[in-house]
Formats: sequence, structure tokens, C-alpha cells
Amino acid sequence: MTIGIGGAGSKIAAKLDNGAVLVNVSETELNKVPGGGRRILASVHAARGQFKGSRMNPEIGHDAYQSIRRELLDMAQGDVVFSSTGGGTGNGITTGILNDLTKASDIATADKTSFGLILPYAKLESSEFVNNTIEFLTGPLAAAIDSGNTGNIFLFSNKKKFEEKVSEEHYNQELVDSLRVFLSIPDKNDKYRLLDGHIDHEDFALFMSKPYFNHFTYFDYDPKKPFGEQLDANSNPYLLEPEAAIEALFLLEVPKGGDPTLFYEILQYFASKDVSPIYSVIENPDRQKPQVTVSLLYSRKPAELVDDFNRISEGHAQAKVKKSLDQWVELEKMEVNLEKEARRAVKQRGEGEEVLATLRRLGKL
Amino acid sequence: MGRELTTDDFSKLFELQTQRLGEAHFLVMYWAAQGEDLDCRYNITNTFDDMKRLGITRTKQTAVAIVESLAALCFIEIREERNRKNIFITTYGAKALEALVLSGRFVPRASGYLEEHAKT
Repeated sequence: MTIGIGGAGSKIAAKLDNGAVLVNVSETELNKVPGGGRRILASVHAARGQFKGSRMNPEIGHDAYQSIRRELLDMAQGDVVFSSTGGGTGNGITTGILNDLTKASDIATADKTSFGLILPYAKLESSEFVNNTIEFLTGPLAAAIDSGNTGNIFLFSNKKKFEEKVSEEHYNQELVDSLRVFLSIPDKNDKYRLLDGHIDHEDFALFMSKPYFNHFTYFDYDPKKPFGEQLDANSNPYLLEPEAAIEALFLLEVPKGGDPTLFYEILQYFASKDVSPIYSVIENPDRQKPQVTVSLLYSRKPAELVDDFNRISEGHAQAKVKKSLDQWVELEKMEVNLEKEARRAVKQRGEGEEVLATLRRLGKL
Repeated sequence: MGRELTTDDFSKLFELQTQRLGEAHFLVMYWAAQGEDLDCRYNITNTFDDMKRLGITRTKQTAVAIVESLAALCFIEIREERNRKNIFITTYGAKALEALVLSGRFVPRASGYLEEHAKT
């Protein structure tokens, strides 16, 4: 099952899974999301009744989490939760889930929850989104990773969307299509002829249950070029750039009658990085060229992860202060006579005043 | 031949000279002014005694060096009177002393000799 929390998380979850459970504090927003399955309204009340949004305030989302906590925690076991980190609802409710997972003990491999987190594009999105993200990454996410109680964490980035000016609908569709390629690995192992290795559903679930960041990508593999160069050139534009891999998984699809030994070059590449990947090679008659789907599990301290966001956030704060000053504050030009001020200070201190008086009496000043 | 010094150059020079003065220079100028105000001759021996009492120096050579440096800068004038070298603050010295007071770098300290004289 897939769970979508908040506006951004719900849209992606609904595109990926027709049976996705969608959660929001706003009924209006819940009903606006096309597709998906069951809808859950997280109850949180302002003085004038149920909130119709969380005003980019994660505390409202977190309060709402209490109303659906038990149900949501049960559902999230072994599932993928999608949420943005910038908005109030996604950030607040996901914070609640992460905090509870951090405190839990003995979560079975099959029950680990994976997270698809949509990070704002710091250069262009609102400073509230950026600040909420910093709080989220350094707080609940860091603690959950340290506890080892989560599954894979996918850090989706809005960078491509904003830099290439792509519509949200189109961007979400591309992101989901990309994710489907990765998630289809065990199904392809079932469906197509196996040439080497094997990744079954259990292997894949075990890989997904590891508490690391997951960067997956896929590309046409040219055996004449070094694999590492091709991997570097084809990182997934919908995800944050990966760090050095700790674990890896790959699926090599070769055309009908293709060379089933191409994967050795890929294995050698990972061996040079001290990584022993799980892999499989299948014959896919629909392919004209070999294609490889790779997933890298990496660990990056959230503190390092937020460096970029911190830099942007400081910039936002400085710009805000400057704008406020430019718009609202007129600073009068102060005419300061330093000598006069110094004399006043001497008078206040008392010391030295007598010296000056003496010099004046002598007529030397 | 170099260019002629301007008023700004002189101001800068005066500022630099004043900045380099220490507490001992400050006190000598202050005591000299105070002595003149009390109509009491203040000489190099009195300077040495006061400096020794305040723990500024233990040698007369240092006291003399301080007084002579002030005289070289034209901040004080040393007059030989009745076999005594009496010290008088000049108008330049008064300006320097004023600048030091306004800077707040030093606090006036009493001269034992002048205090004794004031009592009589």
C-alpha cells in the first residue's frame, strides 16, 4: 500500500497507486486529488472549526496526527509514505510517524516503512518551506535514521521542476514513472527469462527495508564505455545527488540474444568501490539496447544534507531584513560630532574633567 | 624637493604623536599643568619621585627620558631656574593632554609632591 500525506505527497501517491491512502487536514484539498483510494481527514480544529489547511505550519500537521496516529502507524507498516518536507501538513504528520518509529523497538524487516520525501528547491521556493525542511531533516528524520527503524528514504528534489519550468502535473508523472521503473525490478525478474543472478520479491523487500537514502537511476548501458562514467552522467534528476554507495542493487536487461556477460564490468566497478551488489540479468525482447537500473544506498548525515538549505535560508533571512528596511524604515542621518560626544563622555565619567578645567584656567586650550 | 606639508599633514602628525604617548607622558603633562595652576614649580626630580611612588619606574634615567621626549615633541618646556629643571606644559602639550583625556585611555593620578604643596 502507498500513503500520501499532505497536498504534494497525496498527488504523487495517487499517481503511483490507485489504492493509495491519502491524508490531509483539509477536506477540500483531499477531494481535489485525482485518483488514489481511501481518503482520511486528519482532525484538527481552529476556533472556527476544522482547519482548511495548515498554513505551512508543521505544528498544525503534528496536532492533526494525533487524531489518526494509531490507524496511520498500522497502515504505514511495510508501506511507502510520500510527503513533502516544506509544507505544514506533510511535514507535521510525517514528523509524528517518524517520532513514533524512532521510539519503537524490534520492527520486523517486512514492516519497515519507506519514505518518499519531496524537498523544496531552495533557490526559488518559499523560505517557510526551506526552514521547515531544515527542522525536519535535522530533527525527526535524523533521529529516525539513527534508530535504524525506517526503510529506504527517497529524497526527491524539485530542482528539475523549477529549473526546467515543468508543470506540476507533468513533473509528478515523470517522477512516478521513474519510480515505477525501480519498483518493477522484482516483477521483471518474475516475467522475463533470467540470464544471471536473481532479485526476487523477498530480496527486493529486504533491500527496501534498509535505513539508508536510496538513489536509483536507469540508462542504456554502452559496454564500450566505463560503467562508472555512465553512472555519473546518468544520475536521477528527480532525486538528490547520491554520496558514496554503501550497498547497491542492479538489474541489467539485455535484448534478445544479447551478451549475458556484460554485467561483469558492472560488478567490477562496484568491487572497486568495496560494494557487493545484489543483481540480476534478464533477457527483455522489447529492448533494442542493454539497459541497466541501478539503486545506490548511501548514508549522509542530515546535518550535512541541510547545509545547502541553511545557506539559502540565511540568504532569505538577509533579503527579508533588507526588504523590510527598504520598505518601512527611514533612518535619519545622524550628525555626530565625535569631539562633542567625547567631551560629554568625559563629563559623565568625571575623570579628566578636572584636567581640562586646569588647562582652560591656564589659558592653554 | 618634497611637497610642502599641508594642514592635514600637521593634524595627522599631531594625531600620530599623541597616539604614541603612554601613561607616564600623560601624567608628566598633567602634573606640569597642575603645578603651574597651583603656582608651584614642578621639576624633573619631582617627576622621578612621583613615578617611583606610583611604581611607573625605579630609575631616574627613565623619568628623564620621558620628560625629554615630551620636550622634543614641544609638548613641554624645560626651563633652567635656580639650578632646577622646571617643567611647563606648552599649548601643543595642552592639546595633546586634552586629546588623551577625551580618548579615555588614561586616568589622572595624583602627584605626591603637588598634594603636599597644596596642603601648605
